[in-house]
Amino acid sequence: MKKSKNTPNLNRRNFLAGTASVAGLAATASVVPITFANANHTDGSKGLPDFINWKNRDALIVHSDKGIETHRSAIGEGLITPNANVYIRNNMPTMSDAQIGDRNNWKVSFEGVNNPKSFTLAELKAMGTTTIATVLQCSGNGRGFFEHGPSGSQWQTGAAACVFWTGIPVKTLVDACGGISSGANFMTSAGVDHEPTGLAPKDAMVERSVPKKVYEDALLAWDMNGVPLPNSHGGPLRMITPGYFGINNVKHLGKVAFTADESQVKFMKSSYRISPIGKKGSEYPTCWEMPVKSWITRPTDETGTVKAGKVQIVGVAFGGTRKVKSVKVSVDGGNKWQKAKFIGPDLGKFAWRQFVLETTLSAGTYNIASLASNGKDKQPELRMENRRGYAHNGWKDHSVNITVV
Amino acid sequence: ADEAKMAKGLEIFNETAVCAACHVLKAAGSEGNVGPNLDTVAVTTESVTDIVTNGLGVMPAFGEDEILTKEEIEAVVYFVVNSAGK
Repeated sequence: MKKSKNTPNLNRRNFLAGTASVAGLAATASVVPITFANANHTDGSKGLPDFINWKNRDALIVHSDKGIETHRSAIGEGLITPNANVYIRNNMPTMSDAQIGDRNNWKVSFEGVNNPKSFTLAELKAMGTTTIATVLQCSGNGRGFFEHGPSGSQWQTGAAACVFWTGIPVKTLVDACGGISSGANFMTSAGVDHEPTGLAPKDAMVERSVPKKVYEDALLAWDMNGVPLPNSHGGPLRMITPGYFGINNVKHLGKVAFTADESQVKFMKSSYRISPIGKKGSEYPTCWEMPVKSWITRPTDETGTVKAGKVQIVGVAFGGTRKVKSVKVSVDGGNKWQKAKFIGPDLGKFAWRQFVLETTLSAGTYNIASLASNGKDKQPELRMENRRGYAHNGWKDHSVNITVV
Repeated sequence: ADEAKMAKGLEIFNETAVCAACHVLKAAGSEGNVGPNLDTVAVTTESVTDIVTNGLGVMPAFGEDEILTKEEIEAVVYFVVNSAGK
């Protein structure tokens, strides 16, 4: 390889062949280059990467080829978020069909149980099945509202979705393995999507520990909203940890272990730690339980001016690991609050609820906000300042300004 | 753009730090697919300096862990900011 070229034209073959320091990354040969599709989109700025070219471009904001969120106004008209509208946030490249192979032969092992076993997807499907609805939300959803400018995708409200997952309860598999070994404190799930990259597991393996009790609600999902779990969402098998932030819902799942200690990989030990601005370290809490949260989805500043008269203020609310109990809406920036009404079916405590407040607005500008409670906690007014911009549930930043004419 | 600085930044991108292994950047001819495609993200000197220095997710902390010197970080950031999306 030529050093210090001013107008380089370095293809990957030369790069891999000519650079000793890349030898450790030899398996990058199997890494799939991204090419952009001429997707159907309205803003004319960015298409969708090929691996998710089936998504609904009009519903999405593209931060990067690996960070794509749902427009605020594309959430909430239906209770469940259609797959084509669900956000994308990947720590590792999505595995390809070729890398996955025969989906029915996909294997997951169980360790830290009395009789460690490995199951294929076909075997799992024969052992049990159920469906649950959960809110899937990136730890950094709302990062875009932090004023200190934390690095990472500048998510507003749309790194979140409400999804039906079909799969097998982890509890069924724990029973099939003779129960959890004594001394376990955590359920530790590991993906295998780092393997094709050739990067060291301690740096790149998405392995996440959650408190052991989470296994009682957890599911190994192979189906998302009625279709086989797309590769881009972790197919063919994903750990679902209801009420816990997205990162704990490990994609391309290869192993579930009940462990005495938390995983020591980077994604557990140092990433996803909620530390004060200017500080970092594994002594700070990790992104586990989601706090109670809500936001308005209609009308918003995305949906244009609103006609004076009767107005339906619509949104979504969820309680984290507890059922959401109530939502209040303010049209004057939080001075006065009115109780909103839940609408649509209740899909359980881990799903979100749609809410509506019917009100009458005359011409003018309004700041509309929503404030949810799960009976134990309610949304704070302000964000919890932290270095990486995680876990934002303050109602003020999530309010929207609308103009009524 | 300062051509000497660009050349130095390119060398660091492709060889010293091997950013190319994980990122697409047309100007460097790189096609790595672990981190975001740098031609698709909004890059500023401030944000790229922060991420290169402190790391993010699987990305190493090139500054904090002393993989690159301050001058090298400045050069690679200059190269990325002046070539991303072009």
